Amino acid sequence: MSPDVLIGLTQATGLLVLLSTCIGVVIGLVVGMIPGMTISTGIIVLLPVTFVLPADISIALLLGLYIGGMTGGSFSAVLLNIPGTPSASATAIDGYPMAARGEAGRALGIAITASFIGGMTSFLFLFFVAPLLANVALEFRTEDMFAVLFFGITIICSFAAKSLVKGLLSGAIGLAIVTIGQDPVMGTQRFTFGQVNLMAGVHFLTAMIGLFAIPQLVSNLTDMTGGAKQIQTKLASVVPRLPDLKAIRLPVTIGSLTGSFLGILPGAGGPIAAFISYDYTRRASKKPETFGNGAVEGVAAPESANNAVTGGALIPMMTLGIPGDPVTAILIGALIVHGLAPGPLMFLERGDFAYGLIFSFFWANIFNFIIALAALRLLVKVLATPRALLMPTVAVLCVIGSFALRNNFFDVYVMLFFGLIGLGMRWLDMPVVPLLLALVLGGQLEENLRVALTSSQGDIAIFFTSPISLGFLFLSALSIAWSLRSAWQSKRATNLHKKELTP
Amino acid sequence: MVLLAFALVYGALTTQLPIRSLPDTPGPPFFPWINTAILLALSLGLLAQGIWAKTPDDGSPEATPDGATEATERWRAVWALGAFLAYLLVLPGLGFLLATIPFFAALMVLFGEKRWLWVAIGSIGISVALYVLFRHGFDVFLPRGVLPDLLATIIP
Repeated sequence: MSPDVLIGLTQATGLLVLLSTCIGVVIGLVVGMIPGMTISTGIIVLLPVTFVLPADISIALLLGLYIGGMTGGSFSAVLLNIPGTPSASATAIDGYPMAARGEAGRALGIAITASFIGGMTSFLFLFFVAPLLANVALEFRTEDMFAVLFFGITIICSFAAKSLVKGLLSGAIGLAIVTIGQDPVMGTQRFTFGQVNLMAGVHFLTAMIGLFAIPQLVSNLTDMTGGAKQIQTKLASVVPRLPDLKAIRLPVTIGSLTGSFLGILPGAGGPIAAFISYDYTRRASKKPETFGNGAVEGVAAPESANNAVTGGALIPMMTLGIPGDPVTAILIGALIVHGLAPGPLMFLERGDFAYGLIFSFFWANIFNFIIALAALRLLVKVLATPRALLMPTVAVLCVIGSFALRNNFFDVYVMLFFGLIGLGMRWLDMPVVPLLLALVLGGQLEENLRVALTSSQGDIAIFFTSPISLGFLFLSALSIAWSLRSAWQSKRATNLHKKELTP
Repeated sequence: MVLLAFALVYGALTTQLPIRSLPDTPGPPFFPWINTAILLALSLGLLAQGIWAKTPDDGSPEATPDGATEATERWRAVWALGAFLAYLLVLPGLGFLLATIPFFAALMVLFGEKRWLWVAIGSIGISVALYVLFRHGFDVFLPRGVLPDLLATIIP
């Protein structure tokens, strides 16, 4: 066993790191269950705190929030039929009918247990697969890294749910923003307009705070009906009974494996994993007709899947520096602030930190299980928190967060500017996630492209002679083709539906 | 059209970038030129899609029964953004506490809080708590502004 494993375990088991993990889990459970607050917003709000804390404590806090948030999303899905996070959408299908017939405690107990098993399965994936993948990635040259990053960029297509062109445009705008500041190879100033503050470029965390938090704030203002529902806060026993545990064996296995695997694929994310595992479980069930009417299997499968995604998504983030979802993109930003660049070298140069992160993930899952079960009755009372207090706090924390990054007011104005861009994109029905991914990957993409072309003296054949590069370019082509096919099928289905409706 | 204009402006700015590179190697404008091409192609594609998909019904938005509510909500968002902008403009000069308390109170009212005592307690309490936490707990140099001088004048 590598000594880094033991050092990482010791670091993650330090008192302050464990305390930080616990606090992160509690905040995550609260953030996750509040409709209108996403895990991304929660992490963004917590970012200013992490800038001043040591790296291991910061990352433990954020991981706790990530995992707690995934479970917390199911609370409001079960109790209010409003998923706290998009990943909990599938949980509401059977969770809410259970709550409606007075079994909210039972549904939540199953959700928490399934989340725990899903999370621990993905921990095993993370622990065993990430170091292997990092070893392989160490052999990558610049042309290979370009192809990997290009593959990461093509994930944009999978986030372009409604319009492929709009999704790609959002990504292209992100790539354009990345070119502001010094160019990564020669240091030439580009698009800085003589502004000293722009010389270092736009910090992507500042952009991210604006892009996510401001539109969220405005959408909460324009939809003030969310908090009006009656909440069932009196819960019976939440500890799952033996028959229930037997019933969820298969759904949890399906959910955990599906979630861990889909988490590794950048772009797939929690909601997709949850719905796919829900569908598989229904097909595998002997009583598929009970699904949708409060089946315990229908709660267990998506909940195990969305928590299993968390560990899976950390694998490409840690080994290739490619974010699997918006949350891991923000985690990359948080690591970079601490001088730690996720990628193939992370396990080689900071193996202790990499394993510390993996073990913090392990502890976060344990604490999430214990805290969620023990404090559920107390936690659900948070659902009654007035938005009039919550949302202004989020707004002020966004300002503090963007200021604290470099102690510079210019960043606060940049944050507001990106907030307006986010609102404009929402108005144009353009997805924001592709822009975010382009901001994270764009700089490295350009650098690797130019260094590779410089080494080959401008010959693009360099990308087709290396088998690794060729393989990833082939995967990129497949990813684009698949998205085009999906877009075409969805358009065709819409047209058919329209024709059917026309008399 | 907005996106097409953005692509054109970005392309125009790219032409002004210095060309400094070794022979047969890509220089600083190389990547921005690729971006310009992608932006132009996609924004033209979106424009074409819009023209192609336009049907006689598309031009007139349907009147909804709750149009008045929607307008109120939209105005609420405009007020919130205006308050945000004003807050950011006065923050460096006034300081964190003096700027944040009225901004917080304004947002509380916009989010539907009608009890003035709650607005006062919430805005002052949370602003002070955040200031103490970040300024003294995490050493973030939030601006003090004119408050210390003001207090020194009042309490000699």
